[in-house]
Amino acid sequence: MSIRSDPSDPEVVARVLGGDQEAFGILIRRYEPGLLRYATRMLGSGDAAADAVAEGLVRAYRHLASCREPARLRTWLYRIVVNRCKSHLARHATRDVSLEEAPPMADPADTEAEVERAEQVALVERALERLSPEKREAFILKHVEGMSYEEMAVVTGERIPALKMRVHRAREALLEALEEYR
Amino acid sequence: MNPIDPRVHQALDGEISPDSLPPELRRQVERLEGAAALLARVPELGVERRVMASISRPAPTRVRRLTRWLVTPHSLVLRVRPLWSVALAAVAVLFAIIPVRETGPRLGQEEGIAQFVARFPGAQSVAVVGSFNDWAEGSIPMEDQDHDGVWRASVVLPAGTHEYMFVVDGERWVADPLAGRYVEDDFGRENSLLIVRPAHR
Repeated sequence: MSIRSDPSDPEVVARVLGGDQEAFGILIRRYEPGLLRYATRMLGSGDAAADAVAEGLVRAYRHLASCREPARLRTWLYRIVVNRCKSHLARHATRDVSLEEAPPMADPADTEAEVERAEQVALVERALERLSPEKREAFILKHVEGMSYEEMAVVTGERIPALKMRVHRAREALLEALEEYR
Repeated sequence: MNPIDPRVHQALDGEISPDSLPPELRRQVERLEGAAALLARVPELGVERRVMASISRPAPTRVRRLTRWLVTPHSLVLRVRPLWSVALAAVAVLFAIIPVRETGPRLGQEEGIAQFVARFPGAQSVAVVGSFNDWAEGSIPMEDQDHDGVWRASVVLPAGTHEYMFVVDGERWVADPLAGRYVEDDFGRENSLLIVRPAHR
């Protein structure tokens, strides 16, 4: 019995470039959750995040041939979406926080643990919102998306020492904000 | 902002074990790691269908991309020497004091400008159709240049009363919720009513 493993990124990229448009769906399903999570945390709005990620993925498809290292497709896609988020933030001075995006109200059916967790998430989101976009970006890429400093350098175009400093400042600012909300 | 003990950063960067830290510093590491874990929840969103629908359409042509670039606001940084600043200021003053001819579309005696604004978040295209263009789709496309879901179009129309609707994504006909006045058409739909007043009285 043979076990078919998921095709690698370079294999899927080759299929798409060869004319198999549907194969791009594999890449979307593979990276959409992380990209949407990143954009939502950066922009504070599900609608804006979905726009940024959708625009980024369409752009990625149209320029897929220019992806020189398909083995590092993840960082290439993040770079595109990170730039879409920066453009969005530059256009909108304040973050898009709407009632739709407010943390979900506790459902009476929720267990005590679920309610407590929802409150903790809301608290951390509020603390994160207080960070500048640069610090927020640094913390999310490092600690939420789990990137190395080398990957962050590819994604943001910044130098590693500057990114390390930014992550340090972000940790300090977030810890301070979390302490205030305790 | 209070600086964190460097050992906390080392622990968070995986350079030393958190177990080697004093309790207070270990608590800071756990608090930041806990915050990151809470933020790792994936939002219940999806864009696959939207992206696949977009990529199955042909890419915009060079001309369309150029047109779009020309009508999109861009920020420019202009660096000039102080001497040139004075010269530019003098030119600006000259333009300010010399009367210039009025610009913009030339309107006839019985014409006015109609401005259409509608909010359709997520729409790929929106057009205005009405009695003024024989309900022909595509002749008055609306634009959402900053992608905030608010679509706009301005057109010169003969003064008088016009019926109109919006066509969203080429298939959904929607009355203008902000029109205030409506009239029922032959198909049982409600068309929006627009009154254009002449620009020159």
